[in-house]
Amino acid sequence: MTMNAVRRFFSLIEGPQTIGHGRPFWLGFALVVAVALVFPAFADGYTVGNTVYFLNSVFIALGLCLIWGYVGVLSFGQTAFFGIAGYSYAVLTINVGTAYGFTFAALALSVLAAALFATILGYFLFFSRINGVFLGIVTLSVTLVLERFMAQTSGPEWKIGTARLNGTNGINTMPPLTLPWSGGDFVFYPDPPLYYLVLALLLIVYLCLRILLNSRFGNVLVAIRENPERAEMLGYDIRKYQLGAFVIGAALAGLSGALYTAWGQYITPSSMGMTAAALPIVWVAVGGRSDITAAAIGTFIVLAVFQALTIYGNQYALVVMGALLVLTVLFMPDGLILSGAAKLGRITQTLRHRRSL
Amino acid sequence: MALLEIQGLSKHFGGLHVTADVDFTLDAGELHCLIGPNGAGKSTFFRLILGVVSPDRGKIVLAGKDITRLKPFQRVHEGMSVKFQVPGIFKTLSVSQNLQTALQHNCDADALAGKIAEMLDFLGLAAEARSPAGNLSHGQKQWLEIGMAVCLKPRLLLLDEPTAGMSPKETEATGELVKSLNAQGVTVLVVEHDMAFVRQVAQRVTVMHLGRIFAQGTVEEVMADSRVEAIYLGRSHA
Amino acid sequence: METGYLAFAMVMQFADAFAFLVLAACGLAIVFGMMGIVNLAHGEFIMCGAYVTVAAVHAGVPLPLAIAIGAIASALAGMVVEFACIRHLYGRPLDSIVLTWGISLVVTQTTLITLGSNMPSIGTPYGSFAVGPYSYSVYRLVLFGSALAVLAGLYIVFNWTRFGIAARATMQVPHMAAASGLDTRRIYSWTFAIGAGLAGLAGGLYAPTMTLVPTMGTSFMTEAFVTVVVGGADVILGTAPAAAILAIIKAGMTYWKGQLFGQIGLLIAVIVVIRILPKGISGFLTRQ
Repeated sequence: MTMNAVRRFFSLIEGPQTIGHGRPFWLGFALVVAVALVFPAFADGYTVGNTVYFLNSVFIALGLCLIWGYVGVLSFGQTAFFGIAGYSYAVLTINVGTAYGFTFAALALSVLAAALFATILGYFLFFSRINGVFLGIVTLSVTLVLERFMAQTSGPEWKIGTARLNGTNGINTMPPLTLPWSGGDFVFYPDPPLYYLVLALLLIVYLCLRILLNSRFGNVLVAIRENPERAEMLGYDIRKYQLGAFVIGAALAGLSGALYTAWGQYITPSSMGMTAAALPIVWVAVGGRSDITAAAIGTFIVLAVFQALTIYGNQYALVVMGALLVLTVLFMPDGLILSGAAKLGRITQTLRHRRSL
Repeated sequence: MALLEIQGLSKHFGGLHVTADVDFTLDAGELHCLIGPNGAGKSTFFRLILGVVSPDRGKIVLAGKDITRLKPFQRVHEGMSVKFQVPGIFKTLSVSQNLQTALQHNCDADALAGKIAEMLDFLGLAAEARSPAGNLSHGQKQWLEIGMAVCLKPRLLLLDEPTAGMSPKETEATGELVKSLNAQGVTVLVVEHDMAFVRQVAQRVTVMHLGRIFAQGTVEEVMADSRVEAIYLGRSHA
Repeated sequence: METGYLAFAMVMQFADAFAFLVLAACGLAIVFGMMGIVNLAHGEFIMCGAYVTVAAVHAGVPLPLAIAIGAIASALAGMVVEFACIRHLYGRPLDSIVLTWGISLVVTQTTLITLGSNMPSIGTPYGSFAVGPYSYSVYRLVLFGSALAVLAGLYIVFNWTRFGIAARATMQVPHMAAASGLDTRRIYSWTFAIGAGLAGLAGGLYAPTMTLVPTMGTSFMTEAFVTVVVGGADVILGTAPAAAILAIIKAGMTYWKGQLFGQIGLLIAVIVVIRILPKGISGFLTRQ
């Protein structure tokens, strides 16, 4: 009986709500993980650190994909949760320090802070039955106001405990993730240790999301996106489901923010601004918002392109990002990965068809 | 024994009384049709029962429990289930996922697959189980939604124009489906335009006109009533 | 006497807030009300109006004319954007919103690349006047007057002109309007252009009072969003009363705690208001 339940739980790792099933997919998945595991051995420290930044970004993309793609809720304010968690990590670790592995507790508390904020905000939004457009505007407004709030905290009176908020300069004195170890503290700098930690977290989050989305909960989420009235008349309190997904998405954005802060040891108000808020939208839209795997891959690719372009200047890269978003919406609303996969599917189908003739 | 009791239900939009002081009783086990000319207030009355619209005055009691202030999804928990006029299905979900969404409430995981298969057979949709519900024909979509409504094991099944847009053949099949559900003990209230369908299924008929109950009785009684004919032809403003 | 001066100062504070909310929001509100699209590039149309106005002033054009040129430039830019992008997404309002964000990003960064991080600004014209111990810039009255004029103009356009009536018909029942021979495409196109033009007007009017940076549009966005959310879909019945109510909150909070808290007050007001009136003030006023 319990064995059965366990087996059923893991069988949810594949299902209609997520792309990828069967041996070919999981072989490919294993291959990607294997490459990711040996990668630091063949790359220099800078590249590994940079890859950690990429991996960090996938969390916020997955969260956005969950609420935008699966629940159909436009949340433009994911960077607000990113910022809240980032600042929380900074303030907590500066005040308490790194003893007893507290930085990890701070990481968890920061994610919790973002989730709590999302619960309060989401309560007002979903329980007022705010429709898609307004939700987008309110969440974006929250982000913009938070940015401006943090930007004006340069005076010495703006401090929490011993942590000065420093206005637009942001905070840069927080410690990285640190684990007490027998021979002295074990510090997660952006080199291999932090890389493996974030990679492991990402794998766990990705697989858990797959299970969640193929579970009954995920089924209801998609049902609400497709036809909220019908879903409600099947007895579901759709507000609770929307709020639940919103909070999970916010927690993932928070995880991104806290890890980002621990990674670079800095956080600034501009991480919540209009431009910062647009980037996750670009990643997820270009990858394909209706599937977490597509969104994750898309994030990686778009970030790589973005960085390659920044050698010509940050502004040029941002222009390309904006244009990419416009073109995706106009010509490939399902995103690059999903449209590409669909096209590939059609081609192989035609080929197979021809061969069978 | 009354399953649904409505007392003095009223709703107005602006100065227009779309539901005016309606008393209505539905007995358990009944198959009842609600008819009336366009603008009679049928759909508002229906939405009031569902809880999508809240009344200005009046009381709705389902199986002895006052549900007037309950939200739509809470009414579903009290044993109410509905099929909307426009096929309310989840387009990108497969047919069996649609049914799963309806079944997963009151069904443990071990029994789920069996229940879905059973329902697919009942609806004649077994061949389409894995295809997206959006690809079904119009009639099949309507049946799927009836099936979802039935999955909730309702005490009271509300059907809003279940045959809208169906061919005569599909309409007749739907009629048989509704009758067989009623034979299994489900109380059914149908809002319908199609008089052939009403004749096929109804045990009792209520005629609404200008937001009030205008006439009530068996199909034959109501059809024989010259006043009913008159309002359908638009002569009376009684 | 002293309280009288203070009261006048409060009234001026309110007038400032009201003018800013109305001017920042009306272009956004028109596009939203008519087309269901929230134009996230609204701030960039404001920026466009401001830049063109300032460039014109530097070229020797008198300010009022320069502002008009700025507004027209924005309207033209709006028409181009509508023709190139928005037009292809009717029926997909959520996608249009995302698309306008892409446009916003492109425009801001392109401006940064081509025109640099800021533009020499022009001073506030028309001098100042004093009431008791406090001195006020005359231009603040110009802004308030402009806001009232814009509202009056919109009222006239949407109630008395053929375009306005056709536009309202299109907004209420698009397919009926199309069936009765109205060219809904052209109406949408004009609506978007008017929305962009009003944004440009706002930019032009505020250009003398602000530092011109490519991201200046963002500083209008929160106020514009908030006013549209509270107001709902109708410009006259929604935006105007919403701006009046929000102006009281903003002026009060600004007076009490400063600019930023004015904004935070607005945001909290919005979140509370939508809990009570999900369709905004105009939805409440026109409810059935």
